[in-house]
Amino acid sequence: MTDHASPDVHAADHAHGGVGKYIAVFLALCFLTTMSFFTYSAAWPWKDQPEVGWAFMMAVSCTKAMLVVLFFMHVWWEANWKYVLTIPAAMMAVFLVIMLVPDVGMRNRMVSQERALHMARPSDLTLLEKAAAEARAEPAAH
Amino acid sequence: MSSPALSIPRNRGHSAGHGDGHHGHLHLQYQPGLPLSRGKLIMWLFLSTEIMFFAALLGSYIVLRFGAAVWPKPHHVHLSEPIGAFNTFVLICSSVTVVLALEAAKVNKTGLAKLWMVLTFVLGSLFLGVKAYEYKAKFSHGIYPWAPRGLVYERPDLYYGSAVRSRLGEPAVIDRLKELDAAPAESLSAEQRAARDALAQVRKIVVEPSQGAFEMAVVADQVAPLPADGAGEHGGSHAHGINDAFPWLRLPIVIPGGSMWASTYFLLTGFHAVHVAVGLIVFAVLLGYRLGPKHAGMIENAGLYWHFVDLVWIFLFPLLYLF
Repeated sequence: MTDHASPDVHAADHAHGGVGKYIAVFLALCFLTTMSFFTYSAAWPWKDQPEVGWAFMMAVSCTKAMLVVLFFMHVWWEANWKYVLTIPAAMMAVFLVIMLVPDVGMRNRMVSQERALHMARPSDLTLLEKAAAEARAEPAAH
Repeated sequence: MSSPALSIPRNRGHSAGHGDGHHGHLHLQYQPGLPLSRGKLIMWLFLSTEIMFFAALLGSYIVLRFGAAVWPKPHHVHLSEPIGAFNTFVLICSSVTVVLALEAAKVNKTGLAKLWMVLTFVLGSLFLGVKAYEYKAKFSHGIYPWAPRGLVYERPDLYYGSAVRSRLGEPAVIDRLKELDAAPAESLSAEQRAARDALAQVRKIVVEPSQGAFEMAVVADQVAPLPADGAGEHGGSHAHGINDAFPWLRLPIVIPGGSMWASTYFLLTGFHAVHVAVGLIVFAVLLGYRLGPKHAGMIENAGLYWHFVDLVWIFLFPLLYLF
Protein backbone atom coordinates (compact mmCIF):
# COMPACT_ATOMS: atom_id res chain seq x y z
CA MET A 1 0.00 0.00 0.00
CA THR A 2 2.86 2.35 0.62
CA ASP A 3 5.15 1.14 -2.13
CA HIS A 4 3.27 3.22 -4.58
CA ALA A 5 5.51 6.00 -5.63
CA SER A 6 2.49 7.42 -7.28
CA PRO A 7 1.49 10.95 -8.04
CA ASP A 8 -1.02 12.29 -5.57
CA VAL A 9 -3.75 11.59 -8.08
CA HIS A 10 -3.40 7.98 -7.12
CA ALA A 11 -3.18 8.43 -3.40
CA ALA A 12 -6.84 9.19 -2.85
CA ASP A 13 -8.31 5.79 -2.22
CA HIS A 14 -5.38 4.09 -0.66
CA ALA A 15 -5.22 2.84 2.85
CA HIS A 16 -2.84 5.12 4.68
CA GLY A 17 -1.35 4.10 7.95
CA GLY A 18 -3.18 2.02 10.45
CA VAL A 19 -5.52 2.60 13.29
CA GLY A 20 -2.56 3.73 15.39
CA LYS A 21 -2.38 7.00 13.50
CA TYR A 22 -5.98 7.82 14.37
CA ILE A 23 -5.43 6.96 18.02
CA ALA A 24 -2.39 9.28 18.06
CA VAL A 25 -4.51 12.09 16.56
CA PHE A 26 -7.26 11.36 19.09
CA LEU A 27 -4.82 11.63 21.99
CA ALA A 28 -3.46 14.88 20.56
CA LEU A 29 -7.02 16.25 20.31
CA CYS A 30 -7.75 15.28 23.92
CA PHE A 31 -4.52 16.94 25.04
CA LEU A 32 -5.35 20.11 23.11
CA THR A 33 -8.89 20.22 24.56
CA THR A 34 -7.36 19.97 28.03
CA MET A 35 -5.07 22.84 27.06
CA SER A 36 -7.93 25.15 26.07
CA PHE A 37 -9.81 24.13 29.22
CA PHE A 38 -6.64 25.03 31.14
CA THR A 39 -7.32 28.72 30.40
CA TYR A 40 -10.46 28.35 32.54
CA SER A 41 -8.70 26.72 35.48
CA ALA A 42 -7.35 28.64 38.46
CA ALA A 43 -3.78 27.73 37.40
CA TRP A 44 -3.97 29.86 34.22
CA PRO A 45 -1.54 32.72 34.93
CA TRP A 46 -3.05 35.39 32.64
CA LYS A 47 -6.46 35.79 34.27
CA ASP A 48 -6.26 39.59 34.12
CA GLN A 49 -5.33 39.63 30.42
CA PRO A 50 -8.15 37.85 28.59
CA GLU A 51 -6.52 38.55 25.21
CA VAL A 52 -3.72 36.11 26.03
CA GLY A 53 -6.26 33.38 26.73
CA TRP A 54 -8.23 34.18 23.56
CA ALA A 55 -5.14 34.03 21.35
CA PHE A 56 -4.06 30.81 23.03
CA MET A 57 -7.48 29.18 22.60
CA MET A 58 -7.75 30.19 18.96
CA ALA A 59 -4.28 28.74 18.30
CA VAL A 60 -5.35 25.51 20.02
CA SER A 61 -8.64 25.41 18.09
CA CYS A 62 -6.92 25.96 14.75
CA THR A 63 -4.45 23.18 15.56
CA LYS A 64 -7.31 20.84 16.47
CA ALA A 65 -9.19 21.77 13.30
CA MET A 66 -6.08 21.08 11.20
CA LEU A 67 -5.65 17.67 12.82
CA VAL A 68 -9.29 16.74 12.16
CA VAL A 69 -9.23 17.98 8.56
CA LEU A 70 -5.85 16.51 7.66
CA PHE A 71 -6.16 13.08 9.25
CA PHE A 72 -9.79 12.27 10.09
CA MET A 73 -11.05 13.79 6.85
CA HIS A 74 -8.07 12.28 4.99
CA VAL A 75 -7.14 15.58 3.35
CA TRP A 76 -3.48 14.87 4.05
CA TRP A 77 -3.64 11.98 1.55
CA GLU A 78 -5.91 13.62 -0.98
CA ALA A 79 -4.90 14.87 -4.40
CA ASN A 80 -4.54 18.53 -5.31
CA TRP A 81 -8.26 19.01 -5.85
CA LYS A 82 -8.42 19.69 -2.12
CA TYR A 83 -7.00 23.16 -2.67
CA VAL A 84 -9.66 23.98 -5.25
CA LEU A 85 -12.41 23.48 -2.69
CA THR A 86 -10.85 24.54 0.57
CA ILE A 87 -8.89 27.67 -0.34
CA PRO A 88 -11.75 29.61 -2.00
CA ALA A 89 -14.13 28.56 0.81
CA ALA A 90 -11.64 29.70 3.44
CA MET A 91 -11.06 33.00 1.62
CA MET A 92 -14.81 33.59 1.35
CA ALA A 93 -15.18 32.85 5.05
CA VAL A 94 -12.54 35.42 6.02
CA PHE A 95 -13.96 37.94 3.54
CA LEU A 96 -17.43 37.45 5.00
CA VAL A 97 -16.26 38.18 8.53
CA ILE A 98 -14.43 41.33 7.40
CA MET A 99 -17.53 42.52 5.55
CA LEU A 100 -19.60 42.12 8.71
CA VAL A 101 -17.50 44.56 10.69
CA PRO A 102 -18.92 47.87 9.40
CA ASP A 103 -22.59 46.87 9.71
CA VAL A 104 -22.61 44.56 12.67
CA GLY A 105 -19.43 45.10 14.65
CA MET A 106 -19.72 48.86 14.73
CA ARG A 107 -23.45 48.93 15.31
CA ASN A 108 -23.00 50.45 18.73
CA ARG A 109 -21.47 53.58 17.22
CA MET A 110 -24.45 54.40 15.02
CA VAL A 111 -27.61 53.44 16.85
CA SER A 112 -30.93 55.17 17.07
CA GLN A 113 -31.78 57.05 20.23
CA GLU A 114 -34.54 54.57 20.97
CA ARG A 115 -32.09 51.70 20.68
CA ALA A 116 -29.45 53.40 22.80
CA LEU A 117 -32.03 53.86 25.55
CA HIS A 118 -32.43 50.12 26.04
CA MET A 119 -28.91 49.02 25.26
CA ALA A 120 -26.71 47.74 28.05
CA ARG A 121 -23.60 49.73 28.80
CA PRO A 122 -20.65 49.08 31.08
CA SER A 123 -22.10 51.39 33.76
CA ASP A 124 -25.02 48.96 34.15
CA LEU A 125 -22.63 46.20 35.07
CA THR A 126 -20.95 48.50 37.58
CA LEU A 127 -24.33 49.32 39.14
CA LEU A 128 -25.19 45.64 39.47
CA GLU A 129 -21.82 44.84 40.97
CA LYS A 130 -22.23 47.70 43.44
CA ALA A 131 -25.69 46.45 44.42
CA ALA A 132 -24.34 42.93 44.83
CA ALA A 133 -21.42 44.11 46.96
CA GLU A 134 -23.78 46.10 49.17
CA ALA A 135 -26.17 43.17 49.57
CA ARG A 136 -23.32 40.83 50.55
CA ALA A 137 -21.83 43.38 52.94
CA GLU A 138 -25.05 43.87 54.92
CA PRO A 139 -27.38 40.98 54.20
CA ALA A 140 -29.53 41.76 57.25
CA ALA A 141 -30.31 45.27 56.07
CA HIS A 142 -32.27 44.05 53.07
CA MET B 1 -10.93 2.66 -6.71
CA SER B 2 -13.61 2.48 -9.30
CA SER B 3 -13.32 6.14 -10.03
CA PRO B 4 -12.85 6.72 -13.71
CA ALA B 5 -10.50 9.58 -13.06
CA LEU B 6 -8.06 7.36 -11.21
CA SER B 7 -7.10 5.78 -14.43
CA ILE B 8 -5.67 8.94 -15.92
CA PRO B 9 -2.93 7.72 -18.16
CA ARG B 10 0.22 9.74 -18.07
CA ASN B 11 2.55 10.49 -20.92
CA ARG B 12 0.14 9.53 -23.62
CA GLY B 13 -0.29 11.62 -26.66
CA HIS B 14 -3.00 14.15 -26.06
CA SER B 15 -3.89 14.80 -29.62
CA ALA B 16 -2.48 14.90 -32.98
CA GLY B 17 -4.14 18.19 -33.55
CA HIS B 18 -1.12 20.30 -32.78
CA GLY B 19 1.20 18.36 -34.91
CA ASP B 20 3.94 20.90 -34.40
CA GLY B 21 6.72 18.51 -33.65
CA HIS B 22 6.78 18.96 -29.87
CA HIS B 23 8.06 15.49 -29.37
CA GLY B 24 9.14 14.31 -25.93
CA HIS B 25 6.82 16.85 -24.42
CA LEU B 26 4.39 16.28 -21.55
CA HIS B 27 1.28 14.98 -23.18
CA LEU B 28 -2.05 15.26 -21.47
CA GLN B 29 -5.22 13.41 -22.03
CA TYR B 30 -8.29 15.20 -20.91
CA GLN B 31 -10.63 13.23 -18.71
CA PRO B 32 -13.96 14.27 -17.31
CA GLY B 33 -14.26 14.71 -13.57
CA LEU B 34 -11.89 15.07 -10.65
CA PRO B 35 -9.78 12.29 -9.18
CA LEU B 36 -12.41 11.36 -6.63
CA SER B 37 -15.72 9.59 -6.60
CA ARG B 38 -18.84 11.57 -7.38
CA GLY B 39 -20.32 10.99 -3.93
CA LYS B 40 -17.21 12.36 -2.27
CA LEU B 41 -17.05 15.30 -4.68
CA ILE B 42 -20.64 16.23 -3.87
CA MET B 43 -20.00 15.82 -0.16
CA TRP B 44 -16.98 18.12 -0.36
CA LEU B 45 -18.91 20.69 -2.39
CA PHE B 46 -21.65 20.53 0.22
CA LEU B 47 -19.09 20.90 2.98
CA SER B 48 -17.59 23.96 1.34
CA THR B 49 -21.03 25.58 1.39
CA GLU B 50 -21.30 24.51 5.02
CA ILE B 51 -17.94 26.14 5.76
CA MET B 52 -19.37 29.43 4.51
CA PHE B 53 -22.65 28.89 6.37
CA PHE B 54 -20.93 28.41 9.71
CA ALA B 55 -18.32 31.04 8.90
CA ALA B 56 -21.19 33.52 8.56
CA LEU B 57 -22.67 32.46 11.90
CA LEU B 58 -19.37 32.31 13.76
CA GLY B 59 -18.18 35.51 12.10
CA SER B 60 -21.36 37.33 13.12
CA TYR B 61 -20.92 36.04 16.65
CA ILE B 62 -17.31 37.20 16.87
CA VAL B 63 -18.13 40.61 15.40
CA LEU B 64 -21.17 41.05 17.66
CA ARG B 65 -19.28 39.80 20.69
CA PHE B 66 -16.34 42.15 20.29
CA GLY B 67 -18.42 45.05 19.02
CA ALA B 68 -20.78 44.95 22.00
CA ALA B 69 -20.42 47.50 24.76
CA VAL B 70 -21.19 44.80 27.34
CA TRP B 71 -21.11 41.05 26.88
CA PRO B 72 -22.09 38.67 29.69
CA LYS B 73 -19.46 36.44 31.23
CA PRO B 74 -20.13 32.68 30.91
CA HIS B 75 -21.20 32.54 34.58
CA HIS B 76 -23.71 35.34 34.14
CA VAL B 77 -25.64 33.17 31.69
CA HIS B 78 -25.21 29.93 33.65
CA LEU B 79 -22.81 28.28 31.23
CA SER B 80 -20.81 25.45 32.70
CA GLU B 81 -17.33 25.09 31.19
CA PRO B 82 -16.78 21.51 32.44
CA ILE B 83 -20.00 20.42 30.71
CA GLY B 84 -18.86 22.11 27.49
CA ALA B 85 -15.45 20.43 27.74
CA PHE B 86 -17.16 17.09 28.33
CA ASN B 87 -19.27 17.54 25.20
CA THR B 88 -16.12 18.41 23.23
CA PHE B 89 -14.58 15.16 24.43
CA VAL B 90 -17.72 13.24 23.42
CA LEU B 91 -17.62 14.63 19.87
CA ILE B 92 -13.90 13.94 19.49
CA CYS B 93 -14.50 10.33 20.58
CA SER B 94 -17.33 10.01 18.05
CA SER B 95 -15.02 11.31 15.30
CA VAL B 96 -12.53 8.56 16.14
CA THR B 97 -15.20 5.85 16.20
CA VAL B 98 -16.51 6.82 12.76
CA VAL B 99 -12.96 6.72 11.35
CA LEU B 100 -12.45 3.31 12.93
CA ALA B 101 -15.77 2.13 11.45
CA LEU B 102 -14.49 3.15 8.02
CA GLU B 103 -11.18 1.35 8.51
CA ALA B 104 -12.98 -1.80 9.70
CA ALA B 105 -15.38 -1.67 6.74
CA LYS B 106 -12.50 -1.34 4.27
CA VAL B 107 -10.95 -4.61 5.47
CA ASN B 108 -14.38 -6.29 5.53
CA LYS B 109 -14.67 -6.56 9.31
CA THR B 110 -18.37 -5.85 9.11
CA GLY B 111 -19.18 -6.71 12.73
CA LEU B 112 -16.48 -4.42 14.03
CA ALA B 113 -17.56 -1.66 11.64
CA LYS B 114 -21.11 -1.93 12.92
CA LEU B 115 -19.92 -1.82 16.52
CA TRP B 116 -17.98 1.41 15.89
CA MET B 117 -20.97 2.83 14.05
CA VAL B 118 -23.31 2.04 16.95
CA LEU B 119 -20.82 3.66 19.30
CA THR B 120 -20.73 6.76 17.09
CA PHE B 121 -24.51 6.93 17.19
CA VAL B 122 -24.53 6.58 20.99
CA LEU B 123 -21.89 9.29 21.41
CA GLY B 124 -23.77 11.64 19.08
CA SER B 125 -26.96 11.04 21.07
CA LEU B 126 -25.07 11.68 24.30
CA PHE B 127 -23.89 15.01 22.89
CA LEU B 128 -27.48 16.00 22.08
CA GLY B 129 -28.64 14.85 25.53
CA VAL B 130 -26.05 17.01 27.27
CA LYS B 131 -27.01 19.92 25.00
CA ALA B 132 -30.68 19.48 25.94
CA TYR B 133 -29.71 19.49 29.62
CA GLU B 134 -27.80 22.72 29.08
CA TYR B 135 -30.73 24.32 27.24
CA LYS B 136 -33.02 23.36 30.10
CA ALA B 137 -30.68 25.09 32.57
CA LYS B 138 -30.91 28.29 30.50
CA PHE B 139 -34.70 28.06 30.19
CA SER B 140 -35.11 27.50 33.93
CA HIS B 141 -33.27 30.78 34.49
CA GLY B 142 -35.56 32.62 32.10
CA ILE B 143 -32.98 32.83 29.30
CA TYR B 144 -34.81 32.18 26.03
CA PRO B 145 -33.93 33.21 22.50
CA TRP B 146 -37.29 34.88 21.99
CA ALA B 147 -39.22 37.57 23.78
CA PRO B 148 -42.52 36.25 25.17
CA ARG B 149 -40.94 33.65 27.44
CA GLY B 150 -37.58 35.27 27.99
CA LEU B 151 -37.15 37.20 31.21
CA VAL B 152 -33.92 38.97 30.29
CA TYR B 153 -33.64 42.75 30.49
CA GLU B 154 -30.53 44.56 29.42
CA ARG B 155 -30.40 47.35 31.99
CA PRO B 156 -31.55 47.87 35.58
CA ASP B 157 -33.63 50.92 34.58
CA LEU B 158 -37.22 52.05 35.09
CA TYR B 159 -38.40 49.89 32.18
CA TYR B 160 -37.06 46.92 34.08
CA GLY B 161 -38.66 48.14 37.30
CA SER B 162 -42.01 48.48 35.58
CA ALA B 163 -41.69 44.96 34.13
CA VAL B 164 -41.11 43.59 37.64
CA ARG B 165 -44.08 45.60 38.85
CA SER B 166 -46.35 44.28 36.09
CA ARG B 167 -45.36 40.73 36.87
CA LEU B 168 -46.09 41.29 40.56
CA GLY B 169 -49.45 42.75 39.57
CA GLU B 170 -50.65 39.71 37.61
CA PRO B 171 -53.77 38.24 39.31
CA ALA B 172 -52.32 34.75 39.67
CA VAL B 173 -49.12 36.13 41.17
CA ILE B 174 -51.07 38.39 43.55
CA ASP B 175 -52.93 35.35 44.92
CA ARG B 176 -49.72 33.44 45.51
CA LEU B 177 -48.06 36.50 47.05
CA LYS B 178 -50.96 36.73 49.51
CA GLU B 179 -50.41 33.08 50.42
CA LEU B 180 -46.70 33.72 50.81
CA ASP B 181 -47.27 36.76 53.04
CA ALA B 182 -49.65 34.77 55.23
CA ALA B 183 -47.38 31.73 55.47
CA PRO B 184 -45.99 31.22 58.98
CA ALA B 185 -42.22 31.60 59.18
CA GLU B 186 -41.77 27.99 60.34
CA SER B 187 -43.23 26.67 57.11
CA LEU B 188 -40.53 28.36 55.07
CA SER B 189 -36.87 27.45 54.74
CA ALA B 190 -34.22 29.93 55.84
CA GLU B 191 -33.54 30.77 52.21
CA GLN B 192 -37.24 31.36 51.53
CA ARG B 193 -37.58 33.56 54.62
CA ALA B 194 -34.66 35.71 53.47
CA ALA B 195 -36.11 35.80 49.94
CA ARG B 196 -39.52 36.86 51.35
CA ASP B 197 -37.88 39.80 53.13
CA ALA B 198 -36.00 40.70 49.95
CA LEU B 199 -39.24 40.46 47.97
CA ALA B 200 -40.93 42.87 50.37
CA GLN B 201 -38.15 45.38 49.71
CA VAL B 202 -38.40 44.81 45.94
CA ARG B 203 -42.16 45.36 45.99
CA LYS B 204 -41.71 48.61 47.85
CA ILE B 205 -39.08 49.88 45.41
CA VAL B 206 -40.98 49.03 42.21
CA VAL B 207 -44.25 50.49 43.48
CA GLU B 208 -42.58 53.78 44.32
CA PRO B 209 -40.26 54.32 41.39
CA SER B 210 -38.97 57.64 42.60
CA GLN B 211 -35.57 56.22 43.36
CA GLY B 212 -32.62 56.40 41.01
CA ALA B 213 -31.06 53.79 38.80
CA PHE B 214 -29.14 52.24 41.65
CA GLU B 215 -32.39 51.15 43.33
CA MET B 216 -33.32 49.17 40.23
CA ALA B 217 -29.90 47.53 40.35
CA VAL B 218 -30.74 46.50 43.92
CA VAL B 219 -34.02 45.02 42.65
CA ALA B 220 -32.19 43.14 39.88
CA ASP B 221 -29.61 41.86 42.33
CA GLN B 222 -32.27 40.61 44.74
CA VAL B 223 -34.28 38.92 41.98
CA ALA B 224 -31.36 37.13 40.32
CA PRO B 225 -27.83 38.14 41.34
CA LEU B 226 -25.17 37.85 38.66
CA PRO B 227 -22.84 35.08 39.78
CA ALA B 228 -19.41 36.36 40.75
CA ASP B 229 -16.65 35.28 38.42
CA GLY B 230 -14.19 34.49 41.17
CA ALA B 231 -11.69 31.73 40.47
CA GLY B 232 -13.05 28.29 41.17
CA GLU B 233 -16.68 29.32 41.22
CA HIS B 234 -18.54 27.16 38.75
CA GLY B 235 -21.84 27.65 37.02
CA GLY B 236 -23.77 25.68 39.59
CA SER B 237 -22.75 27.47 42.77
CA HIS B 238 -24.12 30.92 42.14
CA ALA B 239 -25.73 33.16 44.72
CA HIS B 240 -29.47 32.62 45.12
CA GLY B 241 -32.03 35.27 44.50
CA ILE B 242 -35.80 35.60 44.84
CA ASN B 243 -36.36 33.74 41.56
CA ASP B 244 -34.39 30.75 42.87
CA ALA B 245 -36.31 30.66 46.16
CA PHE B 246 -39.72 31.00 44.46
CA PRO B 247 -39.46 29.55 40.94
CA TRP B 248 -43.17 30.24 40.28
CA LEU B 249 -42.56 33.96 40.57
CA ARG B 250 -40.51 34.25 37.32
CA LEU B 251 -39.67 37.92 37.82
CA PRO B 252 -37.79 39.66 35.02
CA ILE B 253 -34.02 39.55 35.43
CA VAL B 254 -31.16 41.79 34.31
CA ILE B 255 -28.21 40.42 32.36
CA PRO B 256 -26.39 43.24 30.55
CA GLY B 257 -25.82 42.03 26.99
CA GLY B 258 -27.93 38.96 27.77
CA SER B 259 -30.45 39.32 24.93
CA MET B 260 -27.84 39.36 22.20
CA TRP B 261 -25.95 36.62 23.96
CA ALA B 262 -29.07 34.42 24.02
CA SER B 263 -29.78 35.10 20.33
CA THR B 264 -26.27 34.15 19.25
CA TYR B 265 -25.90 31.22 21.65
CA PHE B 266 -29.15 29.53 20.69
CA LEU B 267 -28.64 30.23 16.98
CA LEU B 268 -25.10 28.82 16.90
CA THR B 269 -25.66 25.82 19.16
CA GLY B 270 -29.11 25.23 17.67
CA PHE B 271 -27.83 25.02 14.10
CA HIS B 272 -24.97 22.84 15.29
CA ALA B 273 -27.41 20.56 17.13
CA VAL B 274 -29.54 20.29 13.97
CA HIS B 275 -26.41 19.16 12.11
CA VAL B 276 -25.69 16.60 14.83
CA ALA B 277 -29.28 15.33 14.56
CA VAL B 278 -28.96 15.00 10.77
CA GLY B 279 -25.70 13.08 11.27
CA LEU B 280 -27.48 10.72 13.67
CA ILE B 281 -30.19 10.05 11.07
CA VAL B 282 -27.49 9.25 8.50
CA PHE B 283 -25.77 6.87 10.91
CA ALA B 284 -29.10 5.21 11.73
CA VAL B 285 -29.67 4.63 7.99
CA LEU B 286 -26.11 3.28 7.57
CA LEU B 287 -26.68 0.82 10.38
CA GLY B 288 -29.24 -0.89 8.16
CA TYR B 289 -26.52 -1.85 5.65
CA ARG B 290 -23.83 -4.49 5.75
CA LEU B 291 -20.82 -2.30 6.46
CA GLY B 292 -18.24 -3.91 4.19
CA PRO B 293 -15.91 -2.54 1.48
CA LYS B 294 -18.90 -2.04 -0.81
CA HIS B 295 -20.30 0.61 1.48
CA ALA B 296 -17.00 2.11 2.58
CA GLY B 297 -17.65 5.11 0.34
CA MET B 298 -20.92 5.82 2.10
CA ILE B 299 -19.27 5.55 5.51
CA GLU B 300 -16.49 7.84 4.33
CA ASN B 301 -18.95 10.50 3.14
CA ALA B 302 -21.02 10.28 6.32
CA GLY B 303 -17.76 10.48 8.25
CA LEU B 304 -16.65 13.58 6.34
CA TYR B 305 -19.90 15.28 7.33
CA TRP B 306 -19.53 14.14 10.93
CA HIS B 307 -15.95 15.40 11.18
CA PHE B 308 -17.14 18.73 9.87
CA VAL B 309 -19.76 18.87 12.65
CA ASP B 310 -16.97 18.09 15.11
CA LEU B 311 -14.88 20.82 13.51
CA VAL B 312 -17.57 23.43 14.06
CA TRP B 313 -17.83 22.46 17.72
CA ILE B 314 -14.03 22.74 18.08
CA PHE B 315 -14.49 26.48 17.42
CA LEU B 316 -17.83 26.86 19.17
CA PHE B 317 -16.60 25.48 22.49
CA PRO B 318 -13.88 28.06 23.25
CA LEU B 319 -15.82 30.91 21.63
CA LEU B 320 -18.98 30.31 23.66
CA TYR B 321 -17.72 28.83 26.91
CA LEU B 322 -14.26 30.23 27.48
CA PHE B 323 -14.14 33.67 25.85
